[in-house]
Amino acid sequence: MEKFYTRMGDGSVIELSESELKRDLEEGTRDAAERAKIPPLSEDDLRRLLEIYECPDKSVGVERGKEVILSYDSGTTKFNRANVSVSKLQSLQIYERMLGADTMEMGHMDYSYKPAKSIMWIEQPTLEQALLITIPALFYGAMPNLGLYTQPDGPCPNPMGLIPQGKISEARAAQEEMAEHAVKDMVYVGSVMYESGADGINFDTTAAAGDAEFLAALRAVEILRKKYPQMCIEVGMAGEFILGMHGELTYEGVRLAGLYPHKQVELMEKAGATIFGPAINTNTDKSCPWNVARAATFTKACVENSHLPIHANVGMGVGGIPVTETPPVDSVSRASKAMVEITRLDGL
Amino acid sequence: MDKEEILKEARKTIIDADKGKAEETAKRAIAEGMDPLEVINKGFRAGITEVGDLFGRGELFLPELILSAEAMKGAADILTAALPKDAEKRRGRVVIGTAQGDIHDIGKSMVVSFLQANGLEVYDLGRDVEMQKFIDKAQEVSADIIGMSALLTTTMSGQKALIQELKKAGLREKYKVMVGGAPATQRWADRIGADAYGIDAADAAKKAMELLGEG
Repeated sequence: MEKFYTRMGDGSVIELSESELKRDLEEGTRDAAERAKIPPLSEDDLRRLLEIYECPDKSVGVERGKEVILSYDSGTTKFNRANVSVSKLQSLQIYERMLGADTMEMGHMDYSYKPAKSIMWIEQPTLEQALLITIPALFYGAMPNLGLYTQPDGPCPNPMGLIPQGKISEARAAQEEMAEHAVKDMVYVGSVMYESGADGINFDTTAAAGDAEFLAALRAVEILRKKYPQMCIEVGMAGEFILGMHGELTYEGVRLAGLYPHKQVELMEKAGATIFGPAINTNTDKSCPWNVARAATFTKACVENSHLPIHANVGMGVGGIPVTETPPVDSVSRASKAMVEITRLDGL
Repeated sequence: MDKEEILKEARKTIIDADKGKAEETAKRAIAEGMDPLEVINKGFRAGITEVGDLFGRGELFLPELILSAEAMKGAADILTAALPKDAEKRRGRVVIGTAQGDIHDIGKSMVVSFLQANGLEVYDLGRDVEMQKFIDKAQEVSADIIGMSALLTTTMSGQKALIQELKKAGLREKYKVMVGGAPATQRWADRIGADAYGIDAADAAKKAMELLGEG
């Protein structure tokens, strides 16, 4: 029986028969559909995915004419994280001239709005230089990262210390206070960088700390949109559903906890975001075909329910890509092709 | 109310996070002469497993999970007290924290909540914890399991170091070691010789119960 080379979500190599591939694709899409109460992928979509995973080529690409925008987040931190000694400006030039970036992002190595606010005076001249030497749309970006507002790093009590003690109302109050601080920092950094010439601002890994963080991002988007009607505001998510760390927060009458991408994007659109990036986490105990079918199902429903351009997160640990420090090209190219051709998204 | 109905009611009280009703159901089970361990495992624990599943699907949230855990604890205390002295079993003990250098504790704290919800005695060392503290605390409280969480690829090596240190100290066989966190995988757990890996909080609690022979 013919076997097809693929991987598990942790990057280890496995070989699956056609029937095993079909089973994983069907189970992956079913899992997403049941969780988010959305339609599973169609028979045609599953057949296309099967073709992608049965293709013997090491890497695959999208058909001519189906190319999408390549937008990179956290751009100026990634080379350094891989121990490549390049400056921010050099990183951006590499993205532009070697990696085919359509949009790029500059950010501080600490990559959170809280620490970024205190170094805006250093970031401004670097941004100016970057704007002078590159052409693609340039964002400034960081994570809302609500965790940084808890003691001992910040002013608020740590809800994760309070919740296990049963101090739920205190934990909720702390999260609401953390969100207020985060909104101020996001609006401040967004304003400074936009007024310095950035084409837009990116809120990356939004809602990593749950529903309070998602609310903070919504409010910051709302304020920035009113302040700067032409500003491009991209919001990238941390995971497929919003963790209910608070549980009772709402926006426009909608409870935030438990929202899946097709509902997250509705609220971000109302708040005034310009681009939305769903993030579907990779399950390391399942195969890449399972993960990609699942990610494509969530993302397709998000695309179909959105008036905003959708730039899905397809990178290490999200969008069907294995959790490995250097994701293998066979998995990355297959996940990218699948997301583009199945979900009809606008960018990666 | 027959036996099956009591078990069903026990499960429901946990899903509804109704501590008063959970304790009332536990008392009724004892009055009906039911086996307390069976009521815990087939009734209340079935409820907390379902709560974990709903949490994993984003259909139930952390504050509700905590209330369910409190209801579970209330009922379990009543049922445990009703066990014959010779059958009374010590609750499993877990020492847990995040690896040194790692301040990310949301995931770890969720695991703590799930472990407590399953009736385990949990010693939470918090975040950014020196490796030796895990071992010292485990020795002090006679723990069954040591759990270390790491969110970063730069701190996950602490999990490997813990296992090596336990081996060096001749304590490896004394404790089960569980690892978790975003960069950890089953493959990583196998490679460093950990006893279990939890992909999420509910899975971690399930694996802990299995390690304790109660899964």
